[in-house]
Amino acid sequence: MNGKPENRVEKIVADLLRGRRLKLRGGDAEEKAAITVAARLAGARQGPQRMHPGFRKRLAESLERAPREAWITRRGALVAGLGLAAGAAGGVLLGRAAVAEPVKASEPIEPVDGRWIDVAAASELVEGQGKRVVAGGVGAYLFRRGEAVTAVSSICSHLPCELWWNGASGHLACTCHPVKFTSDGHPAGDYALPALNKVHVRVTPSGRVEVLGTA
Amino acid sequence: MTSEKRVGEPADVVELPAASRATDIALDELEIVYAFIYARVGNRADAEDLTQQVAMKAIPRLRQGAPASAIRGYLFATARSVLGGFWSTRLGLSEAELHEDLALALPPSPPSEESADTVQQILAQLSDNYRRVLELRFLHGYSLKEVAAEMNSTVGAIKVMQLRALRAAAKVRPLE
Repeated sequence: MNGKPENRVEKIVADLLRGRRLKLRGGDAEEKAAITVAARLAGARQGPQRMHPGFRKRLAESLERAPREAWITRRGALVAGLGLAAGAAGGVLLGRAAVAEPVKASEPIEPVDGRWIDVAAASELVEGQGKRVVAGGVGAYLFRRGEAVTAVSSICSHLPCELWWNGASGHLACTCHPVKFTSDGHPAGDYALPALNKVHVRVTPSGRVEVLGTA
Repeated sequence: MTSEKRVGEPADVVELPAASRATDIALDELEIVYAFIYARVGNRADAEDLTQQVAMKAIPRLRQGAPASAIRGYLFATARSVLGGFWSTRLGLSEAELHEDLALALPPSPPSEESADTVQQILAQLSDNYRRVLELRFLHGYSLKEVAAEMNSTVGAIKVMQLRALRAAAKVRPLE
């Protein structure tokens, strides 16, 4: 766990008490017991919860239409690391679609049956320069700032096109249309596009960079 | 239907559960699953995602028109599996590394009573200071600063105490 564990756990507790999604990162596993109890206490603080009416309605709709419309979009498939399967299947019903909604732009990619894949040594990453890596079906650009490593999807948030790293301008550029993104995934330029999907990444104690991808 | 019908003969009336009726039953069961999941992840967004996953996985079973009691066990088994996957992915651990008893135990009583009872049982077994810091922070919604003022301590010390209290709470076995 980076930094003092009490600070990291407090950050997680504060997020939970604000009703935010659980955002964990490499190293948090050391405090898994404290974190799961914190989630449980946060879950109990307002008594038993019922589904929000809007969610209940969406759930009802998805239950009634699931077999017919459980198709995955090409972009959703690519971003979720299922590009080859979606392309080869040509619209065949995919198990992934029946399990979870396609990942939305800007959200972290949560691969189905995700695994931490060793992609590089932290020492190989040049500060401020993007490095493209592939973790099974998940493509990502890694960036190092000091000892911190971050990762964003290598797929544009608009069209399902691979981005390329323009080292001269310091941007990720789309190969399909004239848009670019900063290294933290935010759009840079005139187009009001969503930010790139984040990709989970961690650095092991031995200095290896691992990305949450697929086997 | 394989039987042949002659002209003029009335068609069989097949009693199929209306989609909306089956969905209503499923939604009522999923309300219980949602409460179960929410009590373990502590936030709405993750609880909704996971409930959706349980629902989608359970669709074939839900569509068989089985009575609610027959699908409840299946839904909770699915919910446990989905929760296991959730914690495993978020913490970067294999499910073997993730102790299943951390957060996945089946509720012994209806979820309406389960969460609050279990939490009270856990808190009751902690030392006074640990119980106080967790009650103020989680149940009364105090900020760290407010907890520090209430307990005549510093924010730094309370932060450390909060972590130790959570670790201690994790070791408590509720009376299930």
